Amino acid sequence: MRSSHVGHAKPHHAPFVLPPVGDTVGKQPETKEWTSAGTRVWIKYRRHTAVGGAVRCSTWRRPVECSSSNRGAWRLYWRVGPGVLQAGGDGHSERDAAASTSCTTTTTTTTMAREQPNVGDLLPLLETSDRHQLEEIRGLINEQLSTERGSMLLNSLVDYFLETNSAQAVNILSSVREPHDKHLLDRMNECMTKQACRLPTLTLLGHVIRKQPSWIHKIARYPLLLSLLKCLKTDTDVVVLITGVLVLITLLPMIPQAGKQHLWEYFDIFGRLASWNLKNPGHVSEVYLIHLHASVYSLFHRLYGMYPCNFVSYLRSHYSMKENMETFEEVVKPMLEHVRLHPELVTGTKDHELDHTRWKKYEIHDIVIECAKVSLDPKEASCEEGYATMPESFYPQIHMRPQDCTSSPYTDLHSSYGSSSSTPFSTPRQPLAPPLSLPPFSGTQSSHRSPQTSRRQNSTCELNSSCGGKDPLWSPSSLCGMATPPSSRGMSPNLELSHSASHLPSRFHCTSGGKGTPASSTPATSSPPPTLSDDFPIISLPTNTVQSSPPRKDRRHAEGGKPVLVRQEPVKDVEKSAEISANRDSGAAENVSMTLTELSVFMKKQELELQLRTEKEKEEAAITEELLKITEEKQELPSLRGFDSPFFHTTETLTGYQAQDKTHSSVQAGGSVRDAHRVSSTPDKAENTVNSSGGGGDSRSSALGLEQSWSFQSCFTPIDHHLHRSPSALDDEVAKLGMFSPSPRSKTPAPVPYESFFDLALPRAASLFVGQKTTEAVHKAALEKLLQREEGLEDGEEEEGVVSASPLEVLDRLVQQGSDVHDKVLKRLPLPSKSADWTHFGGSAPLDELHTLRSQLLLLHNQLLYERYKREQHAVRNRRLLRRIINATALEEQNNAMKGQLNLQSVDILSLRESLQVEQQRYRQLWEDRETVVTRLHSQIRQLQQGRDDYYTKNQELQSKLQECQKTMDELEAELQRANNKVCHTGHLLNQMTIKLSNSESTQQQMSFLNKQLLLLGEAHKLSMQELHHSSTDNTKETQMLQVSHVKEVETLKQSLLLQGQKLEAAQQRVSELETHLSKKEHLIAEQKKFLEDVKCQAKAELQASDNRYQAQRRITQLLQTELLQLYSRVEIEAPASNAASSPPGGRADPHAPADTSVPVPDGPSKSHKNEAAASRSPHDSPRGNGSTLSPGQPKASNSSKSSANAVNGSQDLAPPLLVEPLLSCPHMSPLAPLPPVDTPLTVGSYPSAKSFLGMRARELFRNKSESQCDDDEEQQPPPPLLAGLAHTLKTELCVEQPGPGYTGPVSPAPSLAPTPPPASVPAAPLTVSTKQPPSEPQRQQQRGSNQESPRRKAGAGGRGQAGAGRPRQQHLKIMDYNETHHEHS
Amino acid sequence: MYRVHVWKVLLGILPPHSDSHALVGGYRKEQYQDILEALEVMRYVNSSTPSTHIYLHMFQLESQVLPRCSEITPPDEENEDFLSISRAMEEIVDNPVDCYWLIKCFISQFHLKFGDSIPHLPKSLEHYLSQEEPRLLSHLKNTGALTQLPYNLWFKCCFAGCLPESSLQRVWDKVISGSCKILVFVALEILLSCKIMLLGINRPEGMVKFLCNIPRENTDAIVTKAIDLWHKYCGTLVHAV
Repeated sequence: MRSSHVGHAKPHHAPFVLPPVGDTVGKQPETKEWTSAGTRVWIKYRRHTAVGGAVRCSTWRRPVECSSSNRGAWRLYWRVGPGVLQAGGDGHSERDAAASTSCTTTTTTTTMAREQPNVGDLLPLLETSDRHQLEEIRGLINEQLSTERGSMLLNSLVDYFLETNSAQAVNILSSVREPHDKHLLDRMNECMTKQACRLPTLTLLGHVIRKQPSWIHKIARYPLLLSLLKCLKTDTDVVVLITGVLVLITLLPMIPQAGKQHLWEYFDIFGRLASWNLKNPGHVSEVYLIHLHASVYSLFHRLYGMYPCNFVSYLRSHYSMKENMETFEEVVKPMLEHVRLHPELVTGTKDHELDHTRWKKYEIHDIVIECAKVSLDPKEASCEEGYATMPESFYPQIHMRPQDCTSSPYTDLHSSYGSSSSTPFSTPRQPLAPPLSLPPFSGTQSSHRSPQTSRRQNSTCELNSSCGGKDPLWSPSSLCGMATPPSSRGMSPNLELSHSASHLPSRFHCTSGGKGTPASSTPATSSPPPTLSDDFPIISLPTNTVQSSPPRKDRRHAEGGKPVLVRQEPVKDVEKSAEISANRDSGAAENVSMTLTELSVFMKKQELELQLRTEKEKEEAAITEELLKITEEKQELPSLRGFDSPFFHTTETLTGYQAQDKTHSSVQAGGSVRDAHRVSSTPDKAENTVNSSGGGGDSRSSALGLEQSWSFQSCFTPIDHHLHRSPSALDDEVAKLGMFSPSPRSKTPAPVPYESFFDLALPRAASLFVGQKTTEAVHKAALEKLLQREEGLEDGEEEEGVVSASPLEVLDRLVQQGSDVHDKVLKRLPLPSKSADWTHFGGSAPLDELHTLRSQLLLLHNQLLYERYKREQHAVRNRRLLRRIINATALEEQNNAMKGQLNLQSVDILSLRESLQVEQQRYRQLWEDRETVVTRLHSQIRQLQQGRDDYYTKNQELQSKLQECQKTMDELEAELQRANNKVCHTGHLLNQMTIKLSNSESTQQQMSFLNKQLLLLGEAHKLSMQELHHSSTDNTKETQMLQVSHVKEVETLKQSLLLQGQKLEAAQQRVSELETHLSKKEHLIAEQKKFLEDVKCQAKAELQASDNRYQAQRRITQLLQTELLQLYSRVEIEAPASNAASSPPGGRADPHAPADTSVPVPDGPSKSHKNEAAASRSPHDSPRGNGSTLSPGQPKASNSSKSSANAVNGSQDLAPPLLVEPLLSCPHMSPLAPLPPVDTPLTVGSYPSAKSFLGMRARELFRNKSESQCDDDEEQQPPPPLLAGLAHTLKTELCVEQPGPGYTGPVSPAPSLAPTPPPASVPAAPLTVSTKQPPSEPQRQQQRGSNQESPRRKAGAGGRGQAGAGRPRQQHLKIMDYNETHHEHS
Repeated sequence: MYRVHVWKVLLGILPPHSDSHALVGGYRKEQYQDILEALEVMRYVNSSTPSTHIYLHMFQLESQVLPRCSEITPPDEENEDFLSISRAMEEIVDNPVDCYWLIKCFISQFHLKFGDSIPHLPKSLEHYLSQEEPRLLSHLKNTGALTQLPYNLWFKCCFAGCLPESSLQRVWDKVISGSCKILVFVALEILLSCKIMLLGINRPEGMVKFLCNIPRENTDAIVTKAIDLWHKYCGTLVHAV
């Protein structure tokens, strides 16, 4: 397994390292130009290393194999680091790697991926450097994990990790999802039980926990926690313990509520480990103890921060015991000195602490910060709100902190030492945007406080210097590039960048004032900021500038930094020099400014790294020349400086310090130093070699270290893989060793990783050491003492007046010393002789040490991880705080805006008030005006009213006067009337008098006239008297008589008149009566007419019906007749033969026969006679014959009884017309079609008695024919011969005559002419006949008579044509008559 | 049921005056009996003769076309029409006297009134069919069935024997009332209702056969629809021909 890994590793390794080699080789000429001596030395060194590497490969194989697991893991880390996480910048190396491995790995991977038999088999392939392949495999595994619920794959992953420490495995495991957490934790629990796996398991657990998966809170329920606690309580391996404790510390804030169950276990662990320090049961090396102490210290802080009441009560109970008192005094008490009184101790209770509701409002980082708040340790403490004063009083250096935590980055940076100085490395993590967005805000504040900052800088200088004594600014975290949270501290550079102008003067002042170094440095410091502010966004930087910047610092530190370090002793001894502080400050300032630029450089690191390496060599060689360059290319500096300055700065200080230490020890009393400290002893060992090898060797080693450090940095810059830095650094270093060696042998891994780790720091120190000839020996001695004191006697330090160093500080110092030792070891290594010796005799001795160192390194790594975790928590918190600040400022601005608005509004109000007053005044004036007007108007009104009253009174007076006048007027009028009356009266009287007068006058005249008449009359009277006397008086009687008669006459006349009048009236009445009567009658008539009409209609309908009936009857009759005729014809057809024989005798013999045969008999002859006649005529002929035959029988019928005679007669009577008509009609059917229907009603009409009677008759006739004939026969027995004879004779006659009228008429016009005249001659007879028809009897008799006569006449005449002519004529007449009657009817 | 009575009045069998109904009815009855008697006497009919034939002979007698007893031939087409009508009428009317008279008057009136228009009915049927269902018309034309449709059955027998009596009554109501157009619409409606079947038949003989024996279930609906159509096309009774 291991061999395969090595095999894998090498192909990766070689291509990755080789290109730089090529570069360096290419750049070699330049270095040569600068310093030929340096180059030579370097080349030599290279050779040495090459040889040494080879030697080491052979000699250190064994130890390497012993620690295979760890080494493997580290190597893996290293491999993964650059391969996966570096950005495109180092793509070429990856590609190289892929090219080299493509033959083997790629093929296998692809095939396996295709087959996909077991994902577990793919795990080894995680180590591939091909990114695509890697992603493929990871995708495959993740997919498998997401689909599969079993623990198989997970377990194999864990196993794989435990075996190889694979970074990829960690990556996958730590991002494992919900259902697999159980498997993972269970698996880890299993592994915890095994002693061998414990450490890697804890490491894995640490990784997982630091990843903070979502299910982490569940861990409290799993047995893993218990086993972890158990392990911490029982295990004796310090490394495991420290790792476990760190894991526990990390875990505690995540599961605060779980503390309830395990609280006392935590405390027990704390007690155990605390006492461990003192008792050292395992007798482990002190180096471990320092680590352990540090971790216990952290645990103490955590427990005290989270559960103060419980913890204090535990402490109280636990350390009240006698046996623990010592531990308390030695260990716990100093710790207690680094914390302040927890507020919970006052307000909280034991139960409240454990209440899970209390933790709900806290996030993890909240808890961490809470814990940090109560800490007084500057390394542990938080600077957050409310706790500022304490540190201030405690540490003068931190004085400034509370004032401007946010605004002034400097103080923060300086106060937090390593963490802050190492920001550059962490900054890449931070997104670029936040720092950019913040500048304005922070800038304003900073600009305001520029004086303060200057002051602060001074103070920080002091701080730096003072701390530098205790802690030379070098911390493992800073070295590894994992430290400060990016947030607030990350901001600070921004502030500086953007507003560097404001700071610039102050800083400039500081630097210029404080620094004794040449002025060339000041431009360098002053120049960067503006450029930064300008070009900050531009990340890409020309390599030249990048190269140029470091040298400057180097030089400066070489010149100024060294002295600082040297004078750190004086600081402790309270002899600070302004120069130094200023110098430091400038350095720090630069550091700060770098930090941000680191961001931008991040992408370019890989490339820069290569060049930087070479550049640094150049720098070392020619510092002054570079200074000139710096000034020229300063714009780009910041990035570079940001990139490397912290590192270099710290390394410088450290190395410088160490170098001094070394030299000091070597020069003065190296042995004593070695005794004091084991760590310091190793350097002493190396010291000889260093000395012996001389400056050249040093310089070379330094160059090497420098390069390594650079490459190392570049390797770790990727965000996610800080974890692996230190281990990979080892490999890196090893690789570099190999790389630098000219021969390919150098491939073999470095035998001592730990040494190589320290190698990082060394080169610079070495170079510095070489470069700086003058060292202060006195200070070195003091430093040595101080070191001893610090490590051994913390109390002593406290006694010195300075606060006792916290375990963290001690640990830092330890690490520093470790690097120191490493330096020495490294120096020692290059020596070929030494290395050769190592293989032979030094094998055993280094083994222990190596182990120690390795585990120490592990611890260191753990510590680093823990620190990093804390830092992350800080970062989270800082981000939140920042958000709050933003919000607050936003609110503030809003507030300001509101205030402004308020002011504006108040101004408005004021103006409004003024205008209001004006308006009021105006109003008042108007009011007054109005008042005056009103009063005036009122007075006017009053006046008017008075006037009006006056008028009223006057008016009344006038009215009274008027009334009086009227009264007088009335009186006067009355008088006038009276006078008038009198006048009228008198006038009237006058008139009367005049009338009387005239009357009397006229009467007088009449009197006179009458008198005259009287006179005349008297005379006339006298005269008449005279005459009367003379005339006679006789005729009076006559006249009287006449008069009387006249009167009487008149009276009678009058009476008659009266009578007449009365008669007239009566007549008139009568007339009217009659008229009404007439109208009534008319109405009646109309009604009757209507009724008649109705009746007529009815009758018509009835008539129609009966007509129909009649028609039907006729049809029937016709049919019957035709039938009859047909029958006859049949009979005749059948008869002829028989008739011919039997008819003569049959006539007498059979009484029936004659009757039956009598008809056919005449027919027979007729037929025989008229053979030529058409067959169709025969039926017509026969009836005629029949008729004719019958007619002769009439006389006999008349002779017979009345009824029978009637019957016979009737039949005979009727027969002729009935039969004749059809006969007539039938033959003339076609010409005389309308005749028969016309005739029938006429006949009916002419014989009113007929109709039904006729029908009955006819039926009777037909029905009783045979019977009647029989009767006839019976009755007419006597006259049969007559009849027969008659018939016979008639037949002969008829046979002759009949055709005449019947057939000749139509055929020949001559006979037809004969009948036509007769109608004119005989009309009277038929007319009379027709009129007398109702008395049918006489007519019949007449007819009969005529008929009888005619036969007689015929008989007498002997067949005269008259009779024949008369009968047809008669018939014709009858027809005519019918026609006439018909016409009359119609 | 006054239908028979109304028909009688309409056909002139009974006079409008109800007073003379009895008298005229008597006449009619006597006439019927006379004719029947005569026929019996002449041995045209006997007791076994079906009544329709009796009616036929009576009708022939009255119209003077009765052949000789010996010359009686199997009924020709016209007689068949009479027989089918009389068969239908016999179903409607119970009284043989009434039945005979109704048959006689119906036929005579029908011939008197619509003798001229009957030949034009097929054309009008075609016209209305083209308006109602041109597709069917074209189908009929295409198959040549249009000329072979049972016009005789429809227009001369007035659907006697084609429709059940209940439906026939309603058609005859119209005919007696004076419209022969209704016959066209009944025929049209028959065609429409049997449209689907007819469209399925391609041979004219099949079509005629089918039309002569149309299903009797929905004839009422057919008649109703036909009357509606008649109203639609000929408007109210006033305008009916």
